Amino acid sequence: MQHFWDQPLSWGTAGIFAAAAIGVLAFVIFFVTYAIYFERKFIGWMQYRQGPNRTGPLGLLQSVADVAKLLFKEDTIPKKADRGLFILAPVLAFVPSFAVLAFIPYSLNLQFADLNVGFLYYIALSGITTIAIVVAGWASNNKYSLLGGMRSAAQMISYEVPLVMSVVGVVMMSGSLNLRDIVIAQEGYFWHWNFLPQILGFGIFLIAAVSELNRTPFDLPEAESELVAGYHVEYSGFRFAFFMLTEYIYVYAIASLTTILFLGGWNPPIPQLDFIPGVLWFFLKFAVIVFCLFWIRATFPRLRVDQLMGLAWKVLLPLAILNIFLTALGIELIG
Amino acid sequence: MKGMLKGLGVTLKTMGSKKVTMAYPDIPIEMPDRFRGIQYFEPDKCIVCNQCARICPTDCITLTGKANPDPEKKGKVIDTFDINFEICILCDLCTEVCPTEAIVMTNNFELAAYSRDDLYKDKEWLYENNSNIREDNNNIGSPKGGAK
Amino acid sequence: MIRTEELLLNVGPQHPSTHGVFRIVVKLDGEVITEATPVMGYLHRGTEKLAENLNFTQIIPYTDRMDYVSAMTNNYVLCHAVEKMMELEIPERAEFMRLIVMEMQRVASHLVWWGTYLLDIGAMSPFLYAFSDRERILSLFNELCGARLTYNYMRVGGVKWDAPEGWIAKVKVLVKDMYNRLDEYHNLVSGNEIFLSRIKGIGQYDAKTAIDYGLSGANLRSTGVKWDLRKDEPYSLYDRFQFDVPVGKNGDCFDRYECRMEEIVQSLRILEQALEQFPGEGDTMGKVPRVIRPPAGEIYVRIESPRGEIGCHIVSKGKAEPFRLKFRRPSFVNLQILPKLLVGESMTNLVTILGGIDIVLGEVDC
Repeated sequence: MQHFWDQPLSWGTAGIFAAAAIGVLAFVIFFVTYAIYFERKFIGWMQYRQGPNRTGPLGLLQSVADVAKLLFKEDTIPKKADRGLFILAPVLAFVPSFAVLAFIPYSLNLQFADLNVGFLYYIALSGITTIAIVVAGWASNNKYSLLGGMRSAAQMISYEVPLVMSVVGVVMMSGSLNLRDIVIAQEGYFWHWNFLPQILGFGIFLIAAVSELNRTPFDLPEAESELVAGYHVEYSGFRFAFFMLTEYIYVYAIASLTTILFLGGWNPPIPQLDFIPGVLWFFLKFAVIVFCLFWIRATFPRLRVDQLMGLAWKVLLPLAILNIFLTALGIELIG
Repeated sequence: MKGMLKGLGVTLKTMGSKKVTMAYPDIPIEMPDRFRGIQYFEPDKCIVCNQCARICPTDCITLTGKANPDPEKKGKVIDTFDINFEICILCDLCTEVCPTEAIVMTNNFELAAYSRDDLYKDKEWLYENNSNIREDNNNIGSPKGGAK
Repeated sequence: MIRTEELLLNVGPQHPSTHGVFRIVVKLDGEVITEATPVMGYLHRGTEKLAENLNFTQIIPYTDRMDYVSAMTNNYVLCHAVEKMMELEIPERAEFMRLIVMEMQRVASHLVWWGTYLLDIGAMSPFLYAFSDRERILSLFNELCGARLTYNYMRVGGVKWDAPEGWIAKVKVLVKDMYNRLDEYHNLVSGNEIFLSRIKGIGQYDAKTAIDYGLSGANLRSTGVKWDLRKDEPYSLYDRFQFDVPVGKNGDCFDRYECRMEEIVQSLRILEQALEQFPGEGDTMGKVPRVIRPPAGEIYVRIESPRGEIGCHIVSKGKAEPFRLKFRRPSFVNLQILPKLLVGESMTNLVTILGGIDIVLGEVDC
């Protein structure tokens, strides 16, 4: 399949590429729709509630109705807002979030771009979304959104460092930044997967990833009880929908990344189970991660800004560096 | 870490437990008998003693009486009886003082209206509001005590 | 050198964490508060002035609407003041009913506080956990007096309704269940390290400051002052029951949290004993003159509401209406320390501190 994407660009292939991109977009939007649905359902069940059950059978059309509502809503731009930037910010947030999906290998043969710097590509592009959030916070000309945007910038920049550092161990073990090679290096039984030898790195990665996603307990940029809605306080209608979409696409990306880096990607837990297609294993693991995100959101309170920074720089970063040393030692001693 | 894991355990356990949500608009809620909903008014019982209008803390009851059309009988009969539901706080005092139980509470609580004018309830409306009437009114003058 | 400017931020009156229509104008240096000015009065209804034209029975529904989370104690303080003025005898069964509903109310009120406080701190589930249990208490109140929030239950001289059939048994079941539920609450958040790090050492003040500001309730007890009017100036039947007064040490948000959680347990203890000793027979209304006219004079009574010391000052000229009625509202008094506590704290702690004081805006503005 990989060779297919490497063909020289002609009108015919360009059409196929575009169709594939639209296919991915449709799939991701489908994921986002039902991720929101299941998030609300699960959190509802965890709080003695039913969750959405009014729109469509079992409430399955709830998110569709919500999106339709957002699309039909009046598009408002505050008078004192920086008009250009205000319009630009949702786009700037969304485009990189979609672009990072290109490199995810779902199974041995199902991948769009086989990048040798796969992981770095993710980090580089997701950084652009941070800028978009700061831009949104600034352009709204609202004090709450400004505070939210500033918090977001500080938080996301701080947590990118331990996020990258925690993956270094994985990269050292598999000797490649290419995500496909990383998964291939984890073949075998489930104790060959990276989350056991790299347990420290796995923990750091998870914490930093949740923080990158701005989700509870790290949802300070949009902390409802403090900043009302944070950086998107002035956004409504489809511009707000874009921010929501971005957030959930990053959930998709991070859950995929965790699966690939630490949970063996498409590999079955024991090789005897390999008659089940790899894509299914991939999405099973993926679903577990997404569920954990919802579960954490239903349980935990929010951290404070200073604690958040302290955690990144004083705890996670030293631990990540320690993890690199331990991995190096392990590779040297055990082989 | 331990405290966080405990919390996660609680939420996971709750996920499978019974839900407390009520399917309210689909299945109407049965209120207990003592519930204070909008009043039912029976003009025939009213002796125009004006006690309800006087006790009302928000002055939402206005009533007028007229001479009894039957010249044999003394006293007055009710002419108009209006409750302004914009300000009624359903405090139960009017039914408590009514000596003849002409005005009693019902269990009907769905009072939302599209217009403020709809909230002026007159004698006819209150008389037609005759479903779910409260049985035990415990108004002053009735024997005290009751069930254990 | 970067030129920085202070940011004037208007928190409220429709901010989600101000528990109603409260407004704080804060000056922010970055995220650090340099000055905080509370603005209140958005929910002012002039209860005290209105009361001057109402007779005492009519004032009772108005007291429901002051501290709408704890209407029973408000009912009680007014009735208690009038009864004390007129030297009325209250039947024992009525007094038991009052005590039971007041303690149930205290549990319900603390549950609301617990849920909303955790919501302020960012946890969503506790709010719904607490409300699902509060719902059971409110349903029992609904069965008892026909309303879920504004009960208008007590009357001068007794209570309006006797317990309906099987009600006492239901309360007994509720009390038993509440112990288990409290364990679950503690499992859910009380041990959570994030939560503890959010509230430990935040909004600290010492006993002297607390007394100087006139704080009461858990806000005072968290500093180590053992002051509970149910113990120190027993009213109603509180001297008949065994219970402890939980106190804190440091006077921070964590101690206030601990105090309130423990107060729920103590309320349940009182309820257990009261339900055990509940008299099988008796009147629920004492001998009261048809028109309630307290003799000319003044009286001040105070009782322990879930939020602190609620007082009622009546000046009577021997008429059916009070000449002047004044409520000492604990939320209002407790709130006065807020500007002092906020200086130097961050925006995040503003929410933690404000939530920890436990105010109800209906009572602050009255």
